[in-house]
Order: sequence, then structure tokens, then C-alpha cells
Amino acid sequence: MAYVSMGEAHRRITEYLNRFCDAVSYQDSSMLCRLLSFSSNSPSLLSLADALNVFQDASSLIRQSDKFSEYGEILAHLFRSLQSYRVGNLVEAYLAFEKFANAFVQEFRNWESAWALEALYVVCYEVRILAEKADKELTSNGKSPEKLKAAGSLLMKVFGVLAGKGPKRVGALYVTCQLFKTYFKLGTVNLCRSVIRSIETARIFDFEEFPRRDKVTYMYYTGRLEVFNENFPAADTKLSYALQHCNPERERNIRMILKYLIPVKLSLGVIPKDELLQKYNLHEYMNVVQALRKGDLRLLRHALQEHEDRYVFPLTSYCTYLHLNCIVAVFLRSGVYLVLEKLELQVYQRLMKKIYIIQKLSDPARAHQLKLEVIAKALRWLEIDMDLDEVECIMTILIYKNLVKGYLAHKSKVVVLSKQDPFPKLNGKPVGS
Amino acid sequence: MWLRTIVVDTRHTRPLLTHHKTTQTRDIPITTVPTNNSSNQASHILSLLGRIKTQTNGGYQTTNYNNQSAGGYPSTNYSNQTNTPNQGNYTSTPYQNYTHDAANTHSSTVATTTTPVHYQQSYQQWPAYYGQTEVPCAPGTEKLPATSAVSQSFPVPGVTNETPASNGQPAPSYAQPWRQETDLSQPPSQQPAAAVSASNDAYWKHQTQNQQAHYPVPPQNHYQSPLETKPLYETPFQGHQRATYPQGMNSQSSVHQAPLGYRQPTQATPSVDTQRVSKIQIPTNPRIASNLPSGYTKMDKGSSAAGATQTPAYVSVSMPKPKVHATPVPEPGTLPKSLCGFVERAFARCKGDKEKASCQAALKKVITEASDDGTLHTRDWDTEPLSTVLNTDVTNTESSSTLISSLQNKSPTKRPKSRWEPLVEKPFVKSASTFSSGVKFGGWNQQNQNNKKSFESFQKADAVTDSKPTYSWQNSKPAYSWQNSAKKSFQRPVKRQRFSGGAATAIDDEASSDSDKDSTPSAMSFATSAEQTKRRDSRSKRFEKVQGHSRRNDIPRPNIANVGILHSRRGTALRLGEDFDESGCRSVEDIDWNALTVKGTCQEIEKRYFRLTSAPDPSAVRPEDVLEKALLMVQDSQKNYLYKCDQLKSIRQDLTVQRIHNHLTVKVYETHARLALEAGDLPEYNQCLSQLKILYADGIEGCSLEFAAYSLLYITLHSNNNRELLSSMSRLSKEAKKDEAVRHALSVRAAVTSGNYVMFFRLYKTAPNMNSFLMDLYVEKMRYKAVTVMSRSCRPTIPVSYLAQVLGFTNTSSEGSGEKETDSMEACSEWLKAHGASLIADSNGDMLLDTKVSTTNLFMPEPEDAVAHGDKNLDVNDFFTRTS
Repeated sequence: MAYVSMGEAHRRITEYLNRFCDAVSYQDSSMLCRLLSFSSNSPSLLSLADALNVFQDASSLIRQSDKFSEYGEILAHLFRSLQSYRVGNLVEAYLAFEKFANAFVQEFRNWESAWALEALYVVCYEVRILAEKADKELTSNGKSPEKLKAAGSLLMKVFGVLAGKGPKRVGALYVTCQLFKTYFKLGTVNLCRSVIRSIETARIFDFEEFPRRDKVTYMYYTGRLEVFNENFPAADTKLSYALQHCNPERERNIRMILKYLIPVKLSLGVIPKDELLQKYNLHEYMNVVQALRKGDLRLLRHALQEHEDRYVFPLTSYCTYLHLNCIVAVFLRSGVYLVLEKLELQVYQRLMKKIYIIQKLSDPARAHQLKLEVIAKALRWLEIDMDLDEVECIMTILIYKNLVKGYLAHKSKVVVLSKQDPFPKLNGKPVGS
Repeated sequence: MWLRTIVVDTRHTRPLLTHHKTTQTRDIPITTVPTNNSSNQASHILSLLGRIKTQTNGGYQTTNYNNQSAGGYPSTNYSNQTNTPNQGNYTSTPYQNYTHDAANTHSSTVATTTTPVHYQQSYQQWPAYYGQTEVPCAPGTEKLPATSAVSQSFPVPGVTNETPASNGQPAPSYAQPWRQETDLSQPPSQQPAAAVSASNDAYWKHQTQNQQAHYPVPPQNHYQSPLETKPLYETPFQGHQRATYPQGMNSQSSVHQAPLGYRQPTQATPSVDTQRVSKIQIPTNPRIASNLPSGYTKMDKGSSAAGATQTPAYVSVSMPKPKVHATPVPEPGTLPKSLCGFVERAFARCKGDKEKASCQAALKKVITEASDDGTLHTRDWDTEPLSTVLNTDVTNTESSSTLISSLQNKSPTKRPKSRWEPLVEKPFVKSASTFSSGVKFGGWNQQNQNNKKSFESFQKADAVTDSKPTYSWQNSKPAYSWQNSAKKSFQRPVKRQRFSGGAATAIDDEASSDSDKDSTPSAMSFATSAEQTKRRDSRSKRFEKVQGHSRRNDIPRPNIANVGILHSRRGTALRLGEDFDESGCRSVEDIDWNALTVKGTCQEIEKRYFRLTSAPDPSAVRPEDVLEKALLMVQDSQKNYLYKCDQLKSIRQDLTVQRIHNHLTVKVYETHARLALEAGDLPEYNQCLSQLKILYADGIEGCSLEFAAYSLLYITLHSNNNRELLSSMSRLSKEAKKDEAVRHALSVRAAVTSGNYVMFFRLYKTAPNMNSFLMDLYVEKMRYKAVTVMSRSCRPTIPVSYLAQVLGFTNTSSEGSGEKETDSMEACSEWLKAHGASLIADSNGDMLLDTKVSTTNLFMPEPEDAVAHGDKNLDVNDFFTRTS
């Protein structure tokens, strides 16, 4: 930290105060954003933080002028937060920032127009980020992380400010997305429901009028929620919407969407091209897709195993931040895991189809009769040991779920396939429908 | 002072008129009074009624006195007298301001009397006041044709029939002697007070002394006599009442003042408050009196303790009077007709006596407010919403009670005599509730009588001299409405008495019950009820803060509007005091759990489970080593689950109470969870599991993996919540996944999600630990699903033997002995039939499932043991049969 003279510190602080007040009085949102965005680590903010640490009594400066003291509460908390942030005391920084955010939201409520929406976005974002950092610090100190939770309730309050009628409603979706992020990270996804309801049931405001980035984020998260609920068609539409509207240059975002969209599509019988997987570096799905194509049950199971192992870390203590993250990762991943697990039936179907085709080549007349023995043997080749009962069970399920047309003759242990389209395609419909 | 008292009187007087008409009502009070005097402890109800009225009368008597004096004597002297008692009280009490006001209105001498504000002084005065209150009775009796020895004994001016004369003339003369007496008890500062006041005090004191001496026996005679001689009685009675009234007023007012003065010395209390207070407190006085006999002697001795308790009431009375003074009615002229109409309408709306009482109080408040504002004549009473008057008064009454409490709080050291406390509080409560109105009216009746007969002129004179507004009140039409209210109010006292009786036993509860009965939703009512329960009590603390705020606000404004707040303050103070006294045990939130942690001493191994309703008794709690034995005993026990469950619950309770968190705790919960699983007692199982999760998270090992498997199974098979399942899966460590039970649970999950019934029932047969018990939860569903799937997919038939094997009806596939086979076959076919499957027999006699027919016919039968409330475990008979 470079040495800052008292005068210099005074000058910097006053300058900041002036800029803040100017930004507010001229309703210069972008300036305000710059003044508030901690995580940008902008040199001006850092130097201000240094100045604040030198010039300890900034509040007296604020009090000096009526212009400043009007926003005294906001600024005082902001300064304190910035100070703590600069010296690396993130918990303190968060606490002060939370107070600042409350004061700011209060002020925002009083502003008639929505000019400061962008600044509010910044505040919401910073609150969440700071809370995460503070939680990290807390867990490293062996304390229970709770700041993100607090941030969640603060964001909920902000949502309440925006959710009404009027021009500020445009901002509601941004806050919603921040809330989603918070809740997903906390693993309290069920809390999303109320927010979603208020967004989707409010007819006053057309969803399409929200900013695009918010719409994409919103659709991404709600799509993920649908994945958890195993409502694949809905997940498909939401995630597809997100994919379509996502900025094509944001590959990372596209990849995130695809991570969920691909399993959904797979479960609906739509198999992606390899190029897509390669382009977006979705190698974890390569094997799954391969297995589906080939009917290679072993490969699928292997891929799933790999997934699981890759994302499940041993959790030593329940309340570590690592654990928090881990839960999230595993949670999300296993959300996909359950989806992928369901692909097994399709793999069976593919396997049967292959056997059917092979039989057809050798003996077209009796090709529609698949002996359970044969299937069991095929599975054994895949190093999957199954007795006839189990194979029969799976066959009945396949027939029941309409993945195979035909019937099973129990006595003769033969699956008799329909002569017309014995292996119907899903064509975008979920299995079993 | 004058003005105020007069005002009060006028209002009351109108009701009084009604009173006169209904002589019975009067009689009752009168009769009761004697009982009070003779034996304070006497039957509460009757005595209470009587007391109330008498007291009220007494309190009013002061006012009456004024009237009388005015009538008989030049108003000035008279007014001074009446004023003086009050002033004297005031001076003693912290209210210096008050004295000033009084002095201003009445005489400068009063103003001079600014005694150092001390509680003790007020307390000391108390005895004197008491004496005064009782004195009035004496004069009344004396006035009556029959003069009993007792009455004679009373030196009080009222003793002679010439009450008016006595009042007016004797006062001055008495004053000095009184003073001396008062001086003895009180610091010299009081003496400087106006001569008039001094005279009154002295007078009163004399009376009290006399009364005390006589009290036990004579009063009854006096009282009864008045009843008998009603015709004569009326006038004397009035006088009598008046005499009493000032006392009551004084005592009460002094009480009120004390608190008020402490808080807001400068404040001029609103006239409305004063009125109410006086009314309210008047009722309280009776109680005090009743209780007093024992306390009286103490009082005489001048013991501060007794005085302290009483003082609160005293203070309150003083408050109202000063207010009256402070807020002289702006215009002595008549009341607006519209106001009368308003009042009438308001009363018309009231259904019960309580309502009327509350309405009355509210009306007074409104009117006094209006008069304070100067809007009395300008306001459009025709359009004034009645809602303001209806259902608002409870708060006031309650508040008064609270005030009392606060007073008590302030002088906690002087409390030693517990019996006093309840008494004091009771009276307040009563007065607050509705007594006051009845009392007032009684007093008023007298006034009215006076007015009618010959007093009118006097009154006018008085009014002219001191307070025209009061005069206008009496004359004006509103009086009529007031009378109505008075009637209503009159009846109230009786009911109230009941309450008050209850109050005697439990002060707080009484207050709360009163408020509840009034059923006017107000914050205050809440507060009072709060005292009933601990929870509420804790809540009340929150209130305190708020009230504290209000207090601050109130100080600057002397308006009537604040009265309610003042009352509320008192209430809070009361509560506070209680809290202090009872060492905070009341609020659950404040309990120091550490301090309550018990070290058990019980050596009994067996103990039945009782849900604790109070702090645990160490002698009934088993220490850890005994609990260990108890656990072993339960584990080895051959008794049924109910017994074990009961024992385990008591063990758990003892552990919890002693805050033991260790391997033993885990063991107990694990044991219980397993037993619960075995018995299918899922609620108990869940309780245990949630505790176990906490214990495991605290790092106590136990069989965490076994229970991790259970919870996995439970989620997959019972709650079927994907998200929960995922999170609990993701929480499993690699080591955990190697555990047999966990692996089993995971494969069960896989089987269930994929619908692989073959796998499921194989796992069912090979389940480790108690996993199979949890799987039982799903067996029925799985079988049904399996049969549905099979009958849909298989053609044409499936042998039942195969189904029995696949669906887990056979115990073990290896044990294919003939008998068991047939057993399982039968069970399976039974099950199939129960679910609507159609079975046919083939040529060999083997049972076959006709899949095509069955497909459409399958159904899930209603479980036979289903119960309406959805939890069959709650069905006692079933539970017994399953567990025994």
C-alpha cells in the first residue's frame, strides 16, 4: 500500500464524495455503478480505500457538507465496507456493505424514476459476491458460513422493492437471477418457487420486456429447476430458449446451458452431434452419447460412474465452504446424473435393435422373435451379468414404456416384436409417455 | 381543582338522577358499605358492590362537598376546602406543578405548598387519606336521623347533620390541627401548604383516626340506617357521599400523581384522565378499605410499606383532579345539543353494561378532549363517528391498572406486605374496568339531588366563582345522556364486583380477564392478557419499550389524549415490577438454560415418560450411569414396543434435560430408531433420525453409515423427493459408498428408479441391518407396479409361481421346499386377487395370471388398515396388535 498523505487522502475522499453526489444528482447511473462496484477492483476505488484507511475520520467529512450528509448513512457504510474490503476483512466488509445496501435500497425506493437500476444491479451483485467471499473467510476460520443466506434475504427485500408496478419492475428479473444464483449455491432451491411465481403470474409485465440477459439467465435457472423435477419437456423449452437467446459469443454461458440441455435432449431421444460436444468442450457427454448410439450399456454405466466419481468429493465436515460448493456441484451434476441414469432404457432399446438387425440379416423370418437368452448373452459380452429373470424384467419395462413394441412370451422366454416399427423413436417425447 | 371536580360531578350527577329513581341500586351500595367498614374481609361481592358505590360516593363526596358548601356557604370557602384536600395530597406527592395549578385556580396558598417530592410523604399521607375516605361514611351516617355512637365519635365535620356547614366552616378551623398531625407524619414542607389544604388534611386525619378506632363495629349501623330512611336519607346521603368522595379522590389521585409527577412534573394532566382515574380508583378504594382493617393499623402507625402500596392508588386520584383544574372547561356555557345527541346515540349503541361503561369512558375522553381543544362547541357532533367512542375504553381501564402497577414497581422495597399489593392492584383494576362509572354516578346522584332541591343556586354560585364550565355541564342537556349512561353504569358495578373479587386473589389475571371480557381489541388488552401466560409476559417487555417512547412523548403535552398512554405506562410498569419480583421466570425466552441444566440424582432404572410441564426435578432425573443401565434394561427387555418406546423416551428426556451429548445419547437414539423401524413407528423413527443427524454432525460416531443407509432408503421409498435424495446421495463419502448397507440402499434406489422389480425383491431378501423394514414401505407399491408392467407386456399368461418368486413372496429362493412354495403361492395368488388380477388354472392345475384380462382390471386396493387420519400408526388397537 503506497503511502498516502493526509492531504491526498482528504482530496481523494472528497473527490469520491463529490462524484457520488454528482452521480446521484445528475442521475448518472453508469458513474454510480463505477463508484459502487467493489469487485471490479478499479484503481480509483482501491486508492480511495487506501485513502480511507489513512484518513480514518471520513464520516466527519461526510458530515461537513449538507450535500454529502444527505447520503451520510449510505456513504458511511460504504466507506467502512471499502476499508474492511481493502484490508481483507471480508466479513466486516460484507456486514458494512449489507448496511450500505439497505440504506441504498431505501434511497432507491424514494427515487421516482428507475434511473439507478444499473447501480442497484451492481449493489445486488456485490452483495452476493461479497457474501460468498465472506463465507469463504468464515469457513476458513472454522465458523459457519451464513452470509450468503443473509444476502439472500437482502436480495429478497430488493426484489420486493422492484416487483411492484412501475418502471422499476424491469429490474425485478435481474434480482431474481441473483436470487437464483444464491439459492442454487445454498442448495435451497425450493425458495426459488415463490420468486418464480411472482414473475410468471404477474401479467402486468410481459416477460419479453425484460432485458435479454436476464431472460436468458432466468430461463437457464428455471430450466435447471425443471430438470430437477424431471419435467423434461418444460426443461427442454426453457433451456432451448436460453440457448437461442444467449449471446453466441459467450461460449461459457452456452456451455453451461448445454450442460443441462444435452441430457434433457438425450432423454427425449435427441442425440447431439459430436461437433457440438467438441465445440463446447462437453467431453463428459461423449461417452454417454456413444453408449446411446451403440447400445453400449457398459459404456453408459462407466460414463456415469466417472461422472459420479468426478464430482463427488468426500465430505469431511458438513459446514465447510468446500462442502457448500461441493454440494452444489454434486447436486447439479447429480441432477443430471438422474437424468442420464434414465437413459439406460434407451440403451437397452438400442441394444435390442442391434440384435434385431443382426437377426434380420441371418434369419429375416424369425427376426422379430428375440430370445431372452440372446439378450442376456449380449449383455454378458458387455460384462454385465444378468440372469433371465432380470432380463425379462427389463424387457417388460421396455415394452411397458413403449420403447419396444411387442410382447413377451413368458413361457418360451421370448420377446415377440411387432412387425411394424418395433423400436419406435421418442421424437422429443419423454420415455413412457 | 374545583372546576374539575365539578365537571366530574355534573357528569355523574345526571346518572345520579336515574339513581335516585332506582333507589334499590343505592341501597345496595349502602348496605354493602357497612360490611366493609365493619369487616373489610367480609364477603367480597356484596361488600365490593357496596364499597364501590360507597367509595365512589365518598370520592364524589368531595365534589358533593363542594356543592354543598357552595350551597350553604359562599362558594369560595367551600371550594377551598375541597381543593385543599387534593392539594394537600398533591403537595405531598411529587406534583409540584399540580399544586401550582390548584393554587392558581383556587388560592395562592396552595401554590406555596411545594413539598419536596417524596414517595414517603405521599405514603404518609395515605393513612390520612384512608381515614378521610372512611370519614365520609361517618358523616353520612351522622347526617342520617339515627346517629349512632360511632358516628358521633367521628369528629368529622360531616358528623353533624349540618354537613354543609360542617364542610364549609369546620374546614378552616380543622385545618390547623390537621396540619399538626400531618406534620408529624410528613416533613415540614407540607405544612407550608395552603392553610386551607392543611385544614382539610387535618380534618381528614382526625376522621381517619376516629374511624380506625371505630371501624370494626359501628359503620354498619350507620349505613343501614340511611337505607331505612330513604326520604331523609337522600340529602344526608349526599353529604355522606361527598365526605367519602374526597377521600377516595384524594387517595387515588395521590397515587396517580406520584408516578406522574416523577415522570412528568410539569405536565398538566388532562381533565378527562382525572375524571376517569377518580372513578376508577374509587372502586379500588373499597377494596383497599376491605383489606385495610388489618392494614389500617399499620397505616396509622405510618408505616411506609403500607403507605407505599396504597400510594399508587392515591396518586392516580390526584392526577385526575389536577387535570380538572388544569383544563377548565373553556366555555362555561351550555353544551351543544349535538353533543348530547352524540352521547345519546353512543349509548343507544351499547348493548351490555360493559359496553356502556366503556362507551361512557370513551365519551368522557372525547368530550374532555374536545373541551380541551376548544372544539367542544365547534365540532360537528352529529357527524362525529361513534366508532371513536365505542370499543375504546378498555385500554383506558387497563392502563389505569398498569399505572398502579408501575407505582408499585417504583417502590419495590416498600412492598414487604404482600397482602397489600393484591388489594391495591385489584381496586385499580376494578376502577379501570367499569366501576368508576357506577361510582361516579352514585356520587352524582347526590349532587343532582342537591341541585334539584336547593342546591342549584348554590351550584351556580360555585360555578360562577370557580368553574363555570362545570356548571354548564350540569345544566346542559348532555346531562340527560349522562343519566342514561349512569343507569347502565350502575348495573355494571355489580358485575364488576365479581371481577374484582377474583382480582383480589390474582391481580394480574383479573386485569387480563377483565380486558378479555370486554373484548375490545386493543393493544392494552393484549398487554394485560399477556400477564396470564409467560409467553405473553415476555411479549409485554417489548411493549414496555414502546410505552417508554410514548411516555417521553406524553410529557410535553398535557392533553387528555395522553391519558390512555399514561395508563398504558402504568400497565407496563406493573408488568415490569412483576418481572422483577418473580425474577424473570415468566418469560421463556429469558430462561438461562445453562442454569437450568439438571444433574440427576434418581437411581431408579425404570421410569415412565411424562412430558415435562415445568422445570425438571433433579430427584426425578437419572444420571448418566443409571441411564446406561436403563438402556441395557430396555434392550434386554422382552416387553412389547410400547413399553420400550416409553422407557426410551424417558431416557431421551433425561439425556436432554441433562444436556448429555455423547456416545450414550447416540446409542439411545439408535436403539430407539431401530425399535421404531421394527415396529413401523415412523414418526418416532423420524424423531430419532433427526436427532441422530445432529449428533453425527457433531462428530459422535455411532453407526452413522447404517443410518445413512436408512435415510437414503427412507427418502427413496417414502418421501420420494428427488432433490433431497440427490443431496443425501451427494453427501455420501467414498468410504460410505463402500459400506454394505449404503451400497445396498443405493442399489435399492437404482432398482426403484428404474422400476427393476426383480432387482428390488432380490435386494429385499438380502437386505442388511434393518433395511428390509424400510423396504417394506415400498413392497406393496413395487409389487403392484411389477404386476401392472408384466400383465401389460407379457402374453398370454404368467405362472403365479413365477410371480411369487419374483415378487418376493417366497422367503428365500434356495429354500424351495414344497410347503413353503405352496404357502408363498397362496399368498401371492391371494395378493393378486386382492388387486384385481384374474387367475386361471392350466391343465396341470397350476395357477396362471391371465395378463390380457388383468391389464385392465388391476387396481390398488384401499389398505385395510387405513385410518381416517392417514397414519395407521396412530390407530391404537392396530398398534397394540402389531407391537405386542
